[in-house]
Amino acid sequence: MIEFKTGLRAEHHRLLLEAIIQPASLIGYDNRQWELLLRLARRAQLSGYLAARLEREGLLDNIPIRAANLLRSGLIQARKQQQSVRWELNRVRWALDDSDMPVIVLKGMAYLLQDLPNAAGRMFADLDLLVSKENLRRVEAALLKKGWQHHALTDYDERYYREWSHEIPALVHPERSIEVDVHHTLSSPLGKLKIDPQSFREAAIEVKEAGCYVLSPEDMVLHCAVNLFQNNELADDLRHLVDFSELLLFFSNRQPLFRQKLIGRANQLGLGKPLFYGLYFSRLLLRSAIPDGLEKQLDRRPGRIAQCVMHYCVPLALLPQHPDYPARRAKYARMWLYWRSHWLRMPLYRLLPHLAYKFYLSVLPARTEISKQK
Amino acid sequence: MDHWQVHGFSSLRIENWDGEFTVFQPESGKTHFLNEMGLQVLIMLGQSPVTLEGLCQKLSEYFTLLPDTQFPEQIARTLQRFEALGLIVRVKESA
Amino acid sequence: MRAGQLSRDAFRVLLTGSGLRVKTGPFNLSIRTRLPQLIDQLYRMYAHYSLMGEAEIAEFHVRVISRCSIRRPFARLIQFEVDGRSPFPPVPAEQALATLEWGINLAIAMRINHLLLFHSAAVERNGHVLLLPAWPGSGKTTLCTALIHRGYRLFSDEFGLMDPQSGAFFPLPRLMPLKNRSIEVIRDYLPEAVLGPEIPGTLKGTVAHVRPPQESIRRTDETAQSRWIVFPKWSTGAALQLEPLPRSEAFLLLASNAFNYELLGETAFNAVTHLVRNCECRKLVYSDFDSVLAALDALTDMPADMN
Repeated sequence: MIEFKTGLRAEHHRLLLEAIIQPASLIGYDNRQWELLLRLARRAQLSGYLAARLEREGLLDNIPIRAANLLRSGLIQARKQQQSVRWELNRVRWALDDSDMPVIVLKGMAYLLQDLPNAAGRMFADLDLLVSKENLRRVEAALLKKGWQHHALTDYDERYYREWSHEIPALVHPERSIEVDVHHTLSSPLGKLKIDPQSFREAAIEVKEAGCYVLSPEDMVLHCAVNLFQNNELADDLRHLVDFSELLLFFSNRQPLFRQKLIGRANQLGLGKPLFYGLYFSRLLLRSAIPDGLEKQLDRRPGRIAQCVMHYCVPLALLPQHPDYPARRAKYARMWLYWRSHWLRMPLYRLLPHLAYKFYLSVLPARTEISKQK
Repeated sequence: MDHWQVHGFSSLRIENWDGEFTVFQPESGKTHFLNEMGLQVLIMLGQSPVTLEGLCQKLSEYFTLLPDTQFPEQIARTLQRFEALGLIVRVKESA
Repeated sequence: MRAGQLSRDAFRVLLTGSGLRVKTGPFNLSIRTRLPQLIDQLYRMYAHYSLMGEAEIAEFHVRVISRCSIRRPFARLIQFEVDGRSPFPPVPAEQALATLEWGINLAIAMRINHLLLFHSAAVERNGHVLLLPAWPGSGKTTLCTALIHRGYRLFSDEFGLMDPQSGAFFPLPRLMPLKNRSIEVIRDYLPEAVLGPEIPGTLKGTVAHVRPPQESIRRTDETAQSRWIVFPKWSTGAALQLEPLPRSEAFLLLASNAFNYELLGETAFNAVTHLVRNCECRKLVYSDFDSVLAALDALTDMPADMN
C-alpha cells in the first residue's frame, strides 16, 4: 500500500495507481471499483494502455464483460490512432523524399517506432518532428506543396506561433486528421529553461526501416521529463509520468549504467530540475524502482520550498479528479501549475497580455453563438 | 522515364461488386472505391514496374480502346492520385 | 424492476441523489438531475426501462445541471455533462430532455468501438433485422416510428449496433426524436404513439420524442442478424418506389455514414462486406405510410433465397 503524506489519500487515486502499477490486481476489483476505475482511466487517457497491459498478461477475458468492452474500445481507438500517425509519417517521408533533410521523430510516434513498452495502447493524435532551424521553412514548404495545410488561425495565434514561439503552426492534410507539428526546438525559445536542440540532434539515432531518427535513450527520457514538468500544465497528465517511468525502467534494464549516463547527460545539458521531478514523482506515485540517492547527483535541483509546493500540488494535478466529487484543493493546485507552466514558458511582458487575451476569448465566443442561434 | 509500381500488392484486400471494387489498404487503414480501369492500373503495376507509356499501352490493349490523346493525361492524373494515397511508388531508375 | 414501478418520489430521490441507473440495450446508464421538469418528463418517458442490478457496472454517467451565464443573466439555462465534462454549450432549460438524449447518443458514438456503429435505424420482423440507414432526407426516425407501431420490433432509430465478428445486431431502444412536421404527421397517423413534450428552438428545430414500446424494451437482449437494407427517402406526393440498389453503392453509403468504420479498420471492411453480401439492398421513395408499410411487409415476408 502506498502511503501519501500529502494531498493524496483519496480512494480513487489509489484505485487508478494500483491498476497501473499492478494490472493483475484488477482481477480482485468489485464492480463498483471497476466502474470508478473505468471513468478515471478514460479521463487520464489510460484505457488503451491498461487494456494493452491486461491483454499482454492474458487477463482481458477474466474481468467483467462491461469493463472489458470499454477497455477494448479504448484499445481499438488507440491502435487506430497509432496506425494513422504511422501512416502520416509515411506520407511526410514521401513528401520530403527528394530532400536530404534529417527528421527526428519525437514523443508517441518515437516510442512506437522502437516498440517501447509504453507504446502499446498509448493514445496520441499528433506527429511531432524535430528539424534544424535552417530546415524548418523547407520542410514546411515541402509539406504545403504536397497538400498539407495550416489550420485556419486567427492573426493573434499566427503571431503567437511565428514571432513569439518561433515555431510554425501545425500542418494537417485535409484528407486525414493527424496534426503534424514541426519543431526546431524542444522548449519555448522565450522560456526560462534554455535547451540547445543541436546536442539532441547530434546524439539522435537512426531508425533504418523508417528512414528517420529518434532521440537517444537518455535524451528521450530527458525530453519526456522536460515536456511534462516544463512545457505542460500537468492537469490529468499522469500518462506522461507513466511514459517517463516505463522508459526509465526499460532502458535501465537494458543498460546497466543507464541511470548514471542519464544523470551525466542532464548535468551536461542543464536539465537537472525536470529530471529531478520525473524521478521524484515516479517513485512517489508509481513506486518506480529508483535508487534513493540518485537525484542528489544532479547539479541543478529545485529548492526546498519549490519541492514542498510541488510535492503537494503535482499529484493533485496529475491524477484525475473524482468525476462526481471534484476537490477544490485540486482545482487550486491545478490553477497554480497552470500559471507556473506559462511563467516558465514566457517572460512576464508576454505572459500577461497572452493570458488576458485567452481569458477574453473564453468569454467572447458565446456571444457569436447566441447571435447564431437567433 | 519514371517507372511506377504498387507497394505491397498482396497485402491489399480487394472485393468485386459487379465491376466496381472496394480496396482495403491495411497500411493506411483506408478503403478505396475503384472502377474497372482503376483496378486494372493497380493490377498491372502490381505485376512489375511500368512507365506511364507502357501502362497506357497495356490498358488500351486490355480494354481494346482506340487511340486517344487525352488518355495518357488521364492516366497520369490517376497515377498522381494513387501516389498521394500511397498505393503506388515511383521507381527512380529505369529498370 | 422497471423504472415506472418506482413511486414518483423514489424516482426523484434516485435522480437527485446517487443516480437513476437503467439498462438500455447493451449499455447501462446512470442519470442525475435536479431539474423538476426533467424529472417529471423522465418519469413518463423512461417508465419501461429496467433498473439495473445494484452490483452492475454502468458504462455512461450523465448529468443535467442548471447553469448561470454572465452573458445571459436572466435566462434559465441547463448543461449536459458526461463524466463531469460538458460537450455542448448551455441551452435553455426547456431543451433539457432533448439535450440529455443527444448527449447520451454522442457519448455512445464517441466511446463504443467493440461494436460497429452504423448510422441507421434498425427494426426487426420475422426474426431478422431491417436496416434503414440515414442519408439526407431519409426521415428514418419517422418511418421507424410508423414501423414499430405496426408489428416491427424497435432496435434503434439512430444506431445499427453490430458485433463485427458474429454479425449479430443489438437492440438499443431509446427515445426517438421526431422533428418539426414529422410530429404532426405521426400524431395524425398513430394516435396511440406516446409522445413527450414538444421542445421548440433546438438546433434541429422543434423536437418531440416517441417513447419506445414496452415490448421492444422487454426484449432488449434478443439480438438478430440483418437481412434487408433499405435506404429510405421521403418525398412529398411521390409514388412509392422500392428498387434494387447496387451493392457497391450500399457498401459506400453504409461505410461512409458509420460512426466508427474507419476506426475499426479491416474488421469493419470485412464486416460490411459480409453484411452487404448477405442482405437484400433496396432504395425506397415514399410519401404515405399505408403504401410503404405494405411494401416493406411484402419485402420482409419474402423467403430467404429471393433476391
